Amino acid sequence: MAAVAAIAALALSACGRSDSSSSASGGTSGFAQNSLIGVALPQKTSENWVLAEGLFNDGLKNAGFKADVEFANGGVSDQQNQISSMVTKGAKVIVVGAIDGSQLGTQLKQAKDAGATVIAYDRLVKNTDAVDYYVAYDNFKVGVLQGQALLDGMKAKKPTGPYNVELFAGSPDDANAKVFWDGAMSILQPKIDDGTLKVVSGQKSFDQAVTQGWKAENAQKRMDTLLAASYNSTTLDGVLSPNDTLARAIITSVKGAGKPVPVVTGQDSEVESVKSIMAGEQYSTINKDTRNLVSQAIDMVKKLQAGQKPDVNDDKSYNNGNKVVPAYLLPPVIVTKANAKDAYANDPTLSKLTQ
Amino acid sequence: MDALKKLFGGNTRQFGMIFALVALIVLFQILTGGLTLTPDNVINLFNGNSYILILAIGMVLVIIAGHIDLSVGSVAASVGIIVAITMRDWHLPSGVGILLGLIIGAVIGVWQGFWVAYVGIPAFIVTLAGMLLFRGLNQFIGQSNTVPVPKDFTYIGAGYLPEIGPDTGYNNLTLLLGLIGAAAVVYFQLRARREAKALGAEVPDQWVTVTRLVLIVAAILYATYLFATGRPGTSFPIPGIILGVLVLIYGFVSSKTIIGRHIYAVGGNRHAAELSGVQSKKVNFLVMMNMAVLAALAGMVFVGRSTASGPFDGTGWELDAIAAVFIGGAAVTGGVGTVIGSIVGGLVMAVLNNGLQLLGVGADLTQMIKGIVLLLAVAFDVYSKIQGRPSIVGLLMRGIGGNGGNGNRGVPAQPDETTKTTEVLARES
Amino acid sequence: MADQPVILQMQSITKEFPGVKALSNVSLSVKAGEIHAICGENGAGKSTLMKVLSGVYPHGSYSGDIVYQGEIQEFKDIRASEHAGIVIIHQELALIPELSIMENIFLGNEPAKRGVIDWKEARRRSIDLMARVGLSEDPDTPVKDIGVGKQQLVEIAKALNKSVRLLILDEPTAALNESDSQHLLDLIRGLKGRGITSIIISHKLNEIEQIADSITIIRDGKSIETLDVKADGVDEDRIIKGMVGRALESRFPDHTPKIGEVLFEARNWTVQHPTVPDRLVCKHSDFFVRKGEIVGFAGLMGAGRTELARSIFGHSYGKFLEGQTFMHGREVKMHTVPQAIDAGLGYVTEDRKTLGLNLLDDIKSTTVAAALKKITKGLVVDMNREYQVAEEYRRSLRTKAPNVDEGVSKLSGGNQQKVVLAKWMFTDPELLILDEPTRGIDVGAKYEIYGIIQRLASQGKGVIVISSELPELLGLSDRIYTIFEGAITGVLDKDEATQENLMKLMTQARKNAAA
Repeated sequence: MAAVAAIAALALSACGRSDSSSSASGGTSGFAQNSLIGVALPQKTSENWVLAEGLFNDGLKNAGFKADVEFANGGVSDQQNQISSMVTKGAKVIVVGAIDGSQLGTQLKQAKDAGATVIAYDRLVKNTDAVDYYVAYDNFKVGVLQGQALLDGMKAKKPTGPYNVELFAGSPDDANAKVFWDGAMSILQPKIDDGTLKVVSGQKSFDQAVTQGWKAENAQKRMDTLLAASYNSTTLDGVLSPNDTLARAIITSVKGAGKPVPVVTGQDSEVESVKSIMAGEQYSTINKDTRNLVSQAIDMVKKLQAGQKPDVNDDKSYNNGNKVVPAYLLPPVIVTKANAKDAYANDPTLSKLTQ
Repeated sequence: MDALKKLFGGNTRQFGMIFALVALIVLFQILTGGLTLTPDNVINLFNGNSYILILAIGMVLVIIAGHIDLSVGSVAASVGIIVAITMRDWHLPSGVGILLGLIIGAVIGVWQGFWVAYVGIPAFIVTLAGMLLFRGLNQFIGQSNTVPVPKDFTYIGAGYLPEIGPDTGYNNLTLLLGLIGAAAVVYFQLRARREAKALGAEVPDQWVTVTRLVLIVAAILYATYLFATGRPGTSFPIPGIILGVLVLIYGFVSSKTIIGRHIYAVGGNRHAAELSGVQSKKVNFLVMMNMAVLAALAGMVFVGRSTASGPFDGTGWELDAIAAVFIGGAAVTGGVGTVIGSIVGGLVMAVLNNGLQLLGVGADLTQMIKGIVLLLAVAFDVYSKIQGRPSIVGLLMRGIGGNGGNGNRGVPAQPDETTKTTEVLARES
Repeated sequence: MADQPVILQMQSITKEFPGVKALSNVSLSVKAGEIHAICGENGAGKSTLMKVLSGVYPHGSYSGDIVYQGEIQEFKDIRASEHAGIVIIHQELALIPELSIMENIFLGNEPAKRGVIDWKEARRRSIDLMARVGLSEDPDTPVKDIGVGKQQLVEIAKALNKSVRLLILDEPTAALNESDSQHLLDLIRGLKGRGITSIIISHKLNEIEQIADSITIIRDGKSIETLDVKADGVDEDRIIKGMVGRALESRFPDHTPKIGEVLFEARNWTVQHPTVPDRLVCKHSDFFVRKGEIVGFAGLMGAGRTELARSIFGHSYGKFLEGQTFMHGREVKMHTVPQAIDAGLGYVTEDRKTLGLNLLDDIKSTTVAAALKKITKGLVVDMNREYQVAEEYRRSLRTKAPNVDEGVSKLSGGNQQKVVLAKWMFTDPELLILDEPTRGIDVGAKYEIYGIIQRLASQGKGVIVISSELPELLGLSDRIYTIFEGAITGVLDKDEATQENLMKLMTQARKNAAA
C-alpha cells in the first residue's frame, strides 16, 4: 500500500531522468573557464609523480581551473573509484596517468558518457575507445637513447669488446615498459647478435628481464641473484636499466657484492641519480622534464576549454587496440656527466647539483 | 529516546552500525554539496565496492567459524586471469567462463579447506601460503600481463538492467525491483510479527512496527528512485543485483539452516559443538571452500568492471573485507557476526572512501582516516562490552541528553563456582 | 613433635563466591617442620583454602586471619606469599615445556646483574638445587623431554630456589606412577629433615597414612577435625570416616524405580590416553544399564570416569583400542558423536563452560542445538518451532530466565545446567550420561535436577550419573559402579552401598576389593 502511494508520488513528481549528458566530446564546443579538471595519477612511487602533482595543481589553478589531483596508492581499484568520483564531480577533462592502462575502460566510458574529455598522460590507455588524446615523451626514443648510452659508456671505459652486460626492463603491467625495451633492443640486439655484447646470465628476453611494479627491491634482488650466479669471476661491464630508481638499486646491489660499478643507464633525472652521475657512478639518465610534459598537458586542457583542437604531432603510431589515439610526443634528452650542466640549466633543483 | 530504542529493537549493535552509516551519508551529502546522493555516485559506490562486499559475505562466515582468510585477493586474481585467458584463447562464451571461474574457485577452496579442516593447520598459515601461491599463479599464468576480456563478460562487473516497457522516464526494471523489495519487506515483517504473536512471544508495539516499516520502505524507494533516474542506459547495477542475491542467500543460510547454526556453534565453542554432534571438520571445510568460491566470483566481477585481468588485481582486498567484517560487529575469537552487519560495515568503509574522494582528500589521508575508523569502531564495541552498555549509539544518545546508555547494562558474568576448567584443559592436552 | 612451635595458623577462614559458601569458618594449624595432610572429598574446599593461603585469593576477599611465623599476614598476591616463603605447587604443573630445566627453575627469579642474566651463576645454582631434589639431568634439557615425575622435581627445585619455608603440594602424585610417587614422598620426607614444613593434599590415603604427621579433614567447606597420625593411630578407614561421616544433607525427591531389561552394555571397553601411548584410561571395563535404571559411577578425580563416558559417546576422548557396545542386545558402533546421538545416547558434560555450552548463544538455540534436524523442514530451521520447544522446556524444567532469547552466559550455573539438560532431552535419548550434573549448583537447583533425572528414568530411559559426591550417588542411583585408575573395581546395589565401602573400592585395585 505504502509502495503504491510512493510510486504514485514518483510518477506525479515526474522528475525522472534529467537529460544531463551533453553531447560534447572531443572538445569542439569548449567549457567554462572555472571548470573542474581531474588528474588521476598512479601510486606515489617516484619523484616525478610527486612533482607532477604539484605542477598540475599549480598550473591548472593558474589557468583558472579547479584542479582535483589524486594518487591511487591503493592500486587499480582505487584509481577506478577516483575516476568515477571525478565524473560525479563533473570534471570536464580527466587526465589519466594509469596504473594499468588496460583496466580503466568502464570508468573512462563513464567519463565520456558524461561529456568529459580523456587525456592519457605518460602512459597510454588501452582496450577502450574512450580516450581522446595521449601526451608523453617519445618512449621508443627513450629506449634508443638508453641503448646507445650503454654502448657509448662501455666504449669510453674499455675501447674494445666483447662487453658483459645484463638487461633490466620495467614492470610488465606498464605499457611503456615494453616500448623502452624495444627501443633499447633496436640498438643492442644487433650487437648481441654479432658478439660485441654478451649477456652472461642468458636472460635476454623481456619476460626474463621485467621488474614487477617498477620496484627497486625487485631489481636489487634480481641483480643480487645474477651477480651470485654469473659474475663470480667475470667482470660486469654494463647494465641496461629502464629508469633511475632501478639503476640505483642495481648499483647498490653491485656495490654490496663488492664489484666495480658498471655502466648503468637510467631515466627520469631523479635527484639521487643526478647526484650519482655527478659522482661518477650511474652513467646516464634521460631528461624527460616533467615540467614540459605537464605544461603540454595543461596546454591541451586550455585548448579544449577554448573549444579548439589540441596540438598533436603523431596520429598514426599509438593504436591502443581499439583506436589510434592522436598523440603529442615530446623528445627526450640523454644526460651524462658531460652534458648535465647544460641539460639541467633550467631546473632549479637539479642545476644546483651540477655546479 | 525510549521510542527510538524500541524502534530499532534490542540489537543495539546493528542499530549503531546503520545509524553510523546513515550519519556518514548525511555528513558527506552536506560536505560535498549534494554530490554523494546522485544516481551516478550511488551506482559507482555499488560498482566500485561490490567485490569487497562479496568477499565480506564469505569472510564473515570464515570469521564466525573462528578462522581468517588472507588469500582472497590472490584467489580472485588467479581466477580472473585464468578465466580471461581461457576465454581469449578458447573463445569460450562468457557464461561458460563464469562457470569455469566458479569451479576453479571451488577447487582452490577444496585445497585450502583440506589443509585447514582435515590437516588442522591454522587458516592464517594456510591462507598466507595461499596468498603467495595464488598471486604467483596469477602472474605465472598471465605472464604478468594484463589480459582483456570480451565485451559481454563485462556485464557482470559493469552492466545494467535493460530498458524494457514503456518510456516512463525511469528504468522500469529498477522500479519493479524496488517495489518487489519493498513489498517483500512489508510482507515478511508482518508475517513474522503475526507468527510471533501467535506463539505468545513478545512483539513490539503496533506503532513501532509501522514506523519501522515506513522508514525501511522509504529508504528502499528512495534508493530505487536514485537508481532508476541515472543516465539513460544505467539502472540498479548488475554487481548490486549479484550482491543482493548473495546477501539474501547467505543471510538465509547463516540464520535459518542447520549448516548456518553449525558455523556459529563451531566458532562459539568447538568442543561443545562437537559433543552436540556437529562435525566441525566438515563445517570448517565448507566455510573455507565457500570463501574461495566467493573470492572467485568477486575476482570475476572486478575483471568485468576493469574490462581486463591484471597482475595486481585484488591486492589488499583481504584486508578491506576483514575490516568490513569487524566493523560489522564480528568478534576476532569467532562465534559472533552477521552477514548483514558485514555488508553495513563494508558500506561504511565504502561511503567513507567515496566521500573523501569526492572531497578530494588524498589517498594517504584517506587510508589514515579509514584506519582510525576501524580502530574506533571496534574499540567502542569492546568498551561497551566491558561496560555492559550499548555501543557508539549509546554514547551518542547520551550526548543528546537522554540516559539511553543504561538500558542494556549487562549482568556481570557468574563466577566459575567450582568448575575446574584447567583440569579439563589439562586432560584435553 | 607436639611441643614444636606452630608455623602457620589459619583462623576462621570464610570464603564466599556469589551464591556459594566455599569455606566456612575453617581453621588450620600447622607445626613447624611437620608434614601436614589435608583430606576431603572433591569440592570440599581444600584447594580453595590453599588458594587463600598462597594469595591467589588476595587479602580482603575472605574473612579470617592467616598467622604465619607469629604475624598476621595480608598477602595481596602470590608473589607476596612467596616472598614470605610459602610456595604452592599446583596439580597442573606451572612449567614451560619448551624451556630447559635451568630456565624453568629460575623463571621469574633470574639471577641477574644489571638486568643481564648471569647464566654461569644460574647453572651453578641449578646443579646444586637439582642435586638436592635428586634430579640427575643436564640442566639444559627441555622440560618437555623429561617425565612427569621429574617435572614434579623441577617444580620442587624451583620452590627451593625461592628459599621456601612452607611448601604446599596439591595432589603431587596424581599423575605419577608407583616408583616416581615413592621417590617424591621420600624427597618430601628429606625436606622435612632440612626443616621445611609441607602441606600435602592427596586423594591417595595410603600415601597420607605413610607420610603425614598430622591430618586435617575438611568437609563441605568446614574443618572437621585434626588428627595426629602417630598418637591417634590413624589408618585409612579412620580418614574415610572423617571424610564422609555425616548425615545426608541433600534431599531427594521420592522415586520408585521401574527397572526393565538391559538397555545398554559395554564389554571389554579399553581406551588409550590421547597423547601418552602406554597409558590406559579405560581398562577392559564391562558394565550395563537397564531401562528405567539410574546407574552411578563413583571414583576419585582422575580415576577415569569422564574418560569412560566420553569414549563411549562417539569416541570423543582418547584412542579407542578394543571393546564393544550394545543397545538392546545388538552391537552398535559409535565412532563419531553423530553416530552416538543417532544410536540414542546423550552426554551432559562435566564442564559446562568449556565443553557443554556455547556461551555466546541464547537459550533457544542452545536447546535445539543437538537435534536441529527435528525442527528443520527442507532446508529451513523452523525458528517458530525452536521458540516453542525452548519455551516448553523452560517451563517444564522451570529455568529461571526472562525469556528464551536470553543469553546462556547470563544464567546461573543451575539454570545453565537445565538448559543443557533440555538440549539433550530434546534429542530424546534412550541412554543419558550425566557427568557431574550438579557441580557448582546450589542446593535448591540440585533438588530440581534430581527430580528431572528421576523423571527421565521413570519414562524408561537409562541414566548414568557420574558424581564425586557420594551422598548424591547413594541417594540417586539404583546401582553404583566404582572406578579406580581406569578400571571398574566393583558394583554395589543401592541397598548394599555405603560411603565407606564405596570409598574403599574407589581407592584400591580390584584384588583388594570385597565386591
